[in-house]
Amino acid sequence: MNKRVLKGSVILLLLAGLLLIPRFVESPYALHMMILLFLSVAQGQSWNILGGYAGQHSVGHAAYFGVGAYMTMMLMHSKGIAPWVGVWAGMAAVVVVALIIGSICFRLRGPYFVLASIAVAEIMRLSAINLTTLTNGAEGILATELPAFKIGATVVTDFVTKVPFYYIGLFLVVLTLGVTYWVQHSKLGYYFQAIREDQDAAHSLGINIALYKNIGLVLSAVLTSLAGSFYGIYVGFVDPPTVLGLDVSVQIMLICIIGGMGTLWGPVLGSLILVPLSEALRSNLVTDLLVKSGAVSAESRLGLFLKENLSHAHVLLYGILVVLVILFMPDGLMGFVKKLAMRRKREAV
Amino acid sequence: MAILEIKNVSKFFGGLAANSDVSFDVHEGTIMGLIGPNGAGKTTLFNCITGYYPPSRGEVIFNGRRMNGLDPDKVCMLGMVRTWQKVRPLAKLSVVDNVMVGALARTGSLKVAREMAMEQLKVVRMEHRTNFLAGGLPIGERKKLEVARALATQPKILLLDEVMGGLNPAESEEIIQLILDIKQRGLTQMVIEHDMKAIMRISDRIVVLTSGEKLTEGSPQEVVSNPDVISAYLGEPHA
Repeated sequence: MNKRVLKGSVILLLLAGLLLIPRFVESPYALHMMILLFLSVAQGQSWNILGGYAGQHSVGHAAYFGVGAYMTMMLMHSKGIAPWVGVWAGMAAVVVVALIIGSICFRLRGPYFVLASIAVAEIMRLSAINLTTLTNGAEGILATELPAFKIGATVVTDFVTKVPFYYIGLFLVVLTLGVTYWVQHSKLGYYFQAIREDQDAAHSLGINIALYKNIGLVLSAVLTSLAGSFYGIYVGFVDPPTVLGLDVSVQIMLICIIGGMGTLWGPVLGSLILVPLSEALRSNLVTDLLVKSGAVSAESRLGLFLKENLSHAHVLLYGILVVLVILFMPDGLMGFVKKLAMRRKREAV
Repeated sequence: MAILEIKNVSKFFGGLAANSDVSFDVHEGTIMGLIGPNGAGKTTLFNCITGYYPPSRGEVIFNGRRMNGLDPDKVCMLGMVRTWQKVRPLAKLSVVDNVMVGALARTGSLKVAREMAMEQLKVVRMEHRTNFLAGGLPIGERKKLEVARALATQPKILLLDEVMGGLNPAESEEIIQLILDIKQRGLTQMVIEHDMKAIMRISDRIVVLTSGEKLTEGSPQEVVSNPDVISAYLGEPHA
């Protein structure tokens, strides 16, 4: 009991700290990084419900992310509908898409399901490129002017700074963590994990496999679409490759693989590693640090080489990281941490 | 009263008849033994009864209800549950969580399910393993876990597919006692087993399958003294 109280208070303190950050931090760049982090956690956690708990490794979550993002942006751009209304349309559309995908793909198991999920996301991407009247095709939709958010006559926020986005992002994190916690501590979570561990055994124990897989998919897809809508209005621009591309799906999955699938905190850990890493590589932070510390001179051949190439190498380093994690921590960071904790416990006995 | 009626069940895989025209009744509160040489179609029959395969022909009647075409989960909800010859623990879940998954068929509350699960763990004498990971258990305990998990679904009939396979004599004896305990509670059971001594002790009646067909049916004494059964197992005697 005591441990639970302690855990709860740590989480509340952390949340209070996160709520207060925008009061003290004004740097838009820092807030931007936090927002990216929140987005990543929300994406990973959404995937985790279906992929981590129910064991259905979808590599097509870009479909839900993209449909959510596009729906909100399309409605705002062409009909002037506010995003907090459009977001509901996005979720409704995603439910329809998810149920269609589920009814087709869940007839398949294992690698066949993975392939089918990729195919469906690609169909969505190609549709977005070709349905130009709806989606503006490959040019994408640009809509940076957000209407002010009002309750009654009082303006809550006009979205000029990054602060409102920070809070929306934080809300998404709390929401997805909350839903995952609820799943984990309910019949749903038990049934999802039973299906993941052994589908035939689960079936024999009275679990309606198709029903529970679809519940998992719809939950996961709706949360992913929320993240997508948020991405759309935050960046103010969507086009097929950035929200519907295969790399979006892979990115979402990697957050969980690296952090630890089927654990509450795995996607948080995964995001804490992947977001700063990709940012550091993209902005060539590593070279800058090496040059500043004097280890490498900026004019030397090595310095020039690094400056030229390291920022392009982030995909490569990313790949190496994934391989290392899969080799040495097959259950992700969370699994690794748990194993260490168990070993310490055993040595203490 | 017959709780389970198998009526002329056949199952074809292409041209192969894994079961052909098998019929028998299982009476409430009894243990029906199902024996036969390897490949006789015992597990196929289990699969036909529990909804994993639709029978190609014939009917399965459970509690007066036709079961053909029902999915395994519906079969379980109606009160018929099976275990697996090759055990299927939910490896990354704890022992009690495994049994809870079974109990959740009858309740939506985790608290109630946990109580039900603990009850069944007591029945199979595995309370001391409650929080162990199922994947780390030795084979004897995995088999018992299968039984506890199936019992937690509150079945009216329990189908055991070779629960003693691969166990040492002491472990087998434990399972025999467990099966007799379960019978004491009034639960009907159908048991596939290779160990003749064990099946003789626990069964009220025995059905013998060979090459997919029913060879004979009777009390254990009748079955072992039947010359057809002896030749099915040992081959024809030389003249």
